[in-house]
Amino acid sequence: MANTAPPPADILPAHILTWVTERVAYYLECPPTDIAPDRALTAYGFDSVFALALCGDVEDEYGLEVDPTLAWDHPTVAAIAARLAELLAEGAAA
Amino acid sequence: MSLLDQAPATAAPETLDAAPEAPDAPEYLDLLFGDPTREDNPTGFAAFLAADERRQLLHPAERLLDRANLDAEFVPARLGGRLTSADRLARVLRPLFARDAALGLSHGTSNLIAAVTVWVAGSPEQQRRAADVLLCNGWIAPAYTDVDTGNDIRRTRLAATWDGDQVLLDGTKQMINNLERADLLTVLARTGTGDASRDHSLFLLDRAALPRDRVRWHPRYRTAGVRGLPLAGMDLDDCPVPASSLVGERGGAMETVLRGFQVTRSVLPSAAIGAWDVQLRVVLDFIRSRRLYGGPATDLPLVQRQLTGTFVDLLVADAMSTASCRALHLLPGHTACYAPAVKYVVPTLLADSVEELAVVLGARSFLRDGPHAVFQKHLRDLPVATLVHSGGTVCLATIIPQLPRLARSWPDGGTELPVGVLDPAQPLPELALDRLRIVPASGDPLLGVLARERDGLPDPRARLLVDALLAEVTALRADVRALRPAQTTLLAPPVAFDLARRYVLLLAAAACVGTYRHRSVLRTGDPQADAAWLLLALARLAHRLGIAVEPGPDDDAWGALWRCLLARHDAARAFDLTARPVVHGTT
Repeated sequence: MANTAPPPADILPAHILTWVTERVAYYLECPPTDIAPDRALTAYGFDSVFALALCGDVEDEYGLEVDPTLAWDHPTVAAIAARLAELLAEGAAA
Repeated sequence: MSLLDQAPATAAPETLDAAPEAPDAPEYLDLLFGDPTREDNPTGFAAFLAADERRQLLHPAERLLDRANLDAEFVPARLGGRLTSADRLARVLRPLFARDAALGLSHGTSNLIAAVTVWVAGSPEQQRRAADVLLCNGWIAPAYTDVDTGNDIRRTRLAATWDGDQVLLDGTKQMINNLERADLLTVLARTGTGDASRDHSLFLLDRAALPRDRVRWHPRYRTAGVRGLPLAGMDLDDCPVPASSLVGERGGAMETVLRGFQVTRSVLPSAAIGAWDVQLRVVLDFIRSRRLYGGPATDLPLVQRQLTGTFVDLLVADAMSTASCRALHLLPGHTACYAPAVKYVVPTLLADSVEELAVVLGARSFLRDGPHAVFQKHLRDLPVATLVHSGGTVCLATIIPQLPRLARSWPDGGTELPVGVLDPAQPLPELALDRLRIVPASGDPLLGVLARERDGLPDPRARLLVDALLAEVTALRADVRALRPAQTTLLAPPVAFDLARRYVLLLAAAACVGTYRHRSVLRTGDPQADAAWLLLALARLAHRLGIAVEPGPDDDAWGALWRCLLARHDAARAFDLTARPVVHGTT
């Protein structure tokens, strides 16, 4: 489960949040506007197969290898996006 | 090893390049067991057949394996065992599967299936415990399945509930190999968090320490094939076990198991090639002494084609499974895809080959006595052996959700395949199971071999075949893109399975091209023979994909492989990529 509350959606790098929203919407086969950033993905019926596929998408898109438990540890779109932003910032600083 | 001094000498062949038989050669079991065709061999085919009729494992053979401490092959070198490389392990097991699939599964498989999860995720104490058991010829039973859910272990129903510093296990495990004689058990339990990927935990249990009033042992199951296999079951009735018996993370068992299974799904099909070799050899033993329609049976074109086809496919299987075994070391980020592909393709090719061989052997394929009786035993055993661990359907289901991402990198696969995956002369780094992944890294380096090596093929007919296969890759990519996400989940429809099936056959073709380019395939010193193999291998895979490439391989190609097959048979050499001397009818 998420260890800390993610920062409010409006100060996240917009493109990451958009990207995560669009990927989740793709798997759920609905318009991205239907996905609320702070709603639990499980409430949308986000299958565990999609959760793993999303990890793969993250690697293809950002070159980041994330834990397969990403969607489990960070269970909303906003939480995932915050985590990715964190990892990318760490990578840039390193 | 003093046991080897008792082994019969094998004749050195003239035409094949020398493969010196070092005392620690992987196939030492072949020498230990001796010539299986001898009636007086206590660990020969006749003895195995008699034990099978009694639904037992052959005890002299079991004792031989204990004296050799075969179990040490499943223990990593860092823990005092002999496990160094996955492809070497497969070669160690081939002579075992050659003689008896039940013995192969019982002694050569189950301990590995159980132990590998401990190597992946166990604590240092758990790893030490498991290693010590195996180094003393003990038993670790892999308790993942029940009859209702079978290979689909994610749905297994045995449940675990935490209760202070103990865990209560409740439910049933069935069809578990070696359960009755197990020292340790690895038990997969549902821990129910509501998320299918975090729903399971794995426990390493001491069988003797289980409270007697909380466990009931089932009688042994009888199977139609591998009849000596000691399969049993158990009911756990809110059975308390120490919380410290948890292996890895709570809820993390599916990850552990999927990573461990990448090893077993690569090694075990490769090991089964030992049985395939015997099937082909036994049929050749028979057919070369027969006369039909006024001439040697081996003059019949259909006989030549069927036997040659089997030989070609055996090498395809070896090429693909060896690549996956070596990829565990060099490309651990991708074996989540390649291992299940091997576990589907190799048994499929093997089953089809053996069916054709049965036709050539004719009525004798049914006989349970006589010099060719081992054929019908393997014929009964091998389909069951395939299902015992991770059958083909489950493997395709593992691949389906990966297809959209793989397809992004086709045709060139993104990154280049490390040469050591295909070239056995390259040294392998230590097997690092913690680097195995359940979500593969980006790209598809093995499939990329088709596009990358195409121009380097000297034979225009081979390039033509590869072009046809690359066209199929393009078509498949379009079909994969057309899949809806819902079609890649556990409820995937048949169309998704068909796409996965096409993909794994293309992967096999890529392994063939890469193997051809990076090593000698037939080891005859004649590049024309290797080129002929590639044509036949690719044409046969293309045929399975429903692709017809005209003109097909000509009589010269078939003839070259047929002559190579006969030379191997004459020289008592294996039909696989090793071409090593085999102990069969040589005394």
